[in-house]
Amino acid sequence: MMKKIQHIGYPLFFIVMALLPAFLDSRWLAVATTFVIFTIVALSQDIVLGKAGMFNMGQALFFGLGAYTTAICNSVLHIPLLYTLPLAIIIPAVFGILLAGPIIHLRGDYLLVVTIGFNIVFVQAVQNNLGGITGGPNGIFGLEMLEFPGFSAFQEYTPYFTALLALLVTLVVLRNLETSKVGRALHYLREDDLAAGSVGINTRIYKIFSFSLGAGIAGMAGTIYANQYSAVSPEAFDFIQSVLFFSIVIVGGSSVPGILLGVFVMFVLPEIFREFATWRYFIFGFAMIFTMILRPRGIWPAQFGRIPKAFIHRGE
Amino acid sequence: MDIFLQQLVNGLTIGSMFALIALGYTMVYGVMKLINFAHGDLVAGSAFVGLFVFSELLGGQISFAVVLGVFALTIILISLLGFTVERLAYRPLRNAPRLSAVVSALGASMVIQNGIMLIWGPQMRIFPELIPTIIWDIGGVVVSLIQVLIMVLSMLLMVGLYFFVEKTKIGTAIRASAIDQDAARLMGINVNNIIVTIFIIGSSLGAVGGLFIGLYYRGITFNMGWQYGLYAFVAAIMGGIGNIPGAMLGGILLGLFNAFIAGYISSTWSDAFTFILLIVILIVRPTGILGERVAEKV
Repeated sequence: MMKKIQHIGYPLFFIVMALLPAFLDSRWLAVATTFVIFTIVALSQDIVLGKAGMFNMGQALFFGLGAYTTAICNSVLHIPLLYTLPLAIIIPAVFGILLAGPIIHLRGDYLLVVTIGFNIVFVQAVQNNLGGITGGPNGIFGLEMLEFPGFSAFQEYTPYFTALLALLVTLVVLRNLETSKVGRALHYLREDDLAAGSVGINTRIYKIFSFSLGAGIAGMAGTIYANQYSAVSPEAFDFIQSVLFFSIVIVGGSSVPGILLGVFVMFVLPEIFREFATWRYFIFGFAMIFTMILRPRGIWPAQFGRIPKAFIHRGE
Repeated sequence: MDIFLQQLVNGLTIGSMFALIALGYTMVYGVMKLINFAHGDLVAGSAFVGLFVFSELLGGQISFAVVLGVFALTIILISLLGFTVERLAYRPLRNAPRLSAVVSALGASMVIQNGIMLIWGPQMRIFPELIPTIIWDIGGVVVSLIQVLIMVLSMLLMVGLYFFVEKTKIGTAIRASAIDQDAARLMGINVNNIIVTIFIIGSSLGAVGGLFIGLYYRGITFNMGWQYGLYAFVAAIMGGIGNIPGAMLGGILLGLFNAFIAGYISSTWSDAFTFILLIVILIVRPTGILGERVAEKV
């Protein structure tokens, strides 16, 4: 069943997404771009939270780090946006290793609070204009546009298609992860990290690896986000944003269709029903509670490998 | 030296409020092993309910009886709200995966926070001056009546709670449920009732904390719950989560730490320093200052 969905669903999804800009005006194109970018961030969160089972509530930090890396490189050092992309992946990934290193042994809720803490420290550092290059509370604006040689005629569509390309890359990475040794290790880690350790999986290394991989992908999304708005500002990477990504992954069930649905509901529906904008989080709050009561494992729970259903532990 | 003493007084005031709020987190965490994200928003809600009770229900005239009435009614309403949250959002998930309960708690928090916004609006509201502004100047250190009241009342409540938990039968049941729910159930303790009890006690203390925030800072916003909630939760972790005296100590220490950061460095960095302190404590002593060194439950 799952295989069928993957084989038909993914190409279909990308064909629809690729044709979408033809039917959208500039406002809806921006919404679609944001949808794709936030999907990438939610998927990167899924690597840490869903795949490795670590309660990370600070993913917006890495998203922001990527965006700010791009913005600073572009506004201070005048590096063209495209060439900042590798840096925007590497710097968050390195930070992922450095930050996760000392705290990775912490149990669930402690890790959650510490990652919220990282996120808050980051936002406050950026707001206080650390080193005089982050632009303070207003952020950095007036960035250059992303330019691909030969495609300058389609300037309007570059953010969208770059985002879509990045989503494709992310999905390939996720797919490879799932079918690789690392993916299996992460899966056992999530089910029971003590047992995983006792069968010879180096839990520490794999946990840090997943953190770093998630951070790198979120950083990549950050570059595209900075490009879309030609600006970055601290409140876009507030920890409330991390809370939303966290909820999307769990409510969606840590599977790709579930996450797509979650991002759609959280970020696109409010654009469609603008008159209910103030009711947005009130309704989402109830939706989160009821989804969890009715489907504790999420709307579309992820399946792993070919393990027969009867062997899968349904508890925690 | 003046700055030091002044910040000491301010820190003890803020710390008392953090401690009151932290108790709600630590008691719920102790029994249910769940971060009650909605608690901070209950605290924020309490300030708004207090404002509403005072100006709409009790006529807006300040007298001693009215102030008592505001406190009593707000505590009752907020504990009812806490009770409702437990029933709707937490009880159905008692046996669900851990993360589902976390998301449900986040959902409850969003509902309360935005409920406040929908009822009272997104702008800042001014809490009424229920306690007259009397200020004493003791050798250059300014102490107000509100500060003294906050410190004394919080201290009384905390001492009361301590004796309640240590000396009474219900308190013993709370401690037993915190150690092992199943064993407590086998001993004839109705754990569901215990959870309801701690939610009511925690919400009441949080309600007092929320009213204190209103009285002390005056300006209240619908989204301030996250801010105070996070600080109080950090205080609970610093003291050793699940540990009641630990939450009190953690709250006071965090209040002092914050006041000194604000006094000597800059208040724009206080969040960052608070969380850096938390991270350091968790790396050095993961079970908190007063937490027992127990083997981690897997």
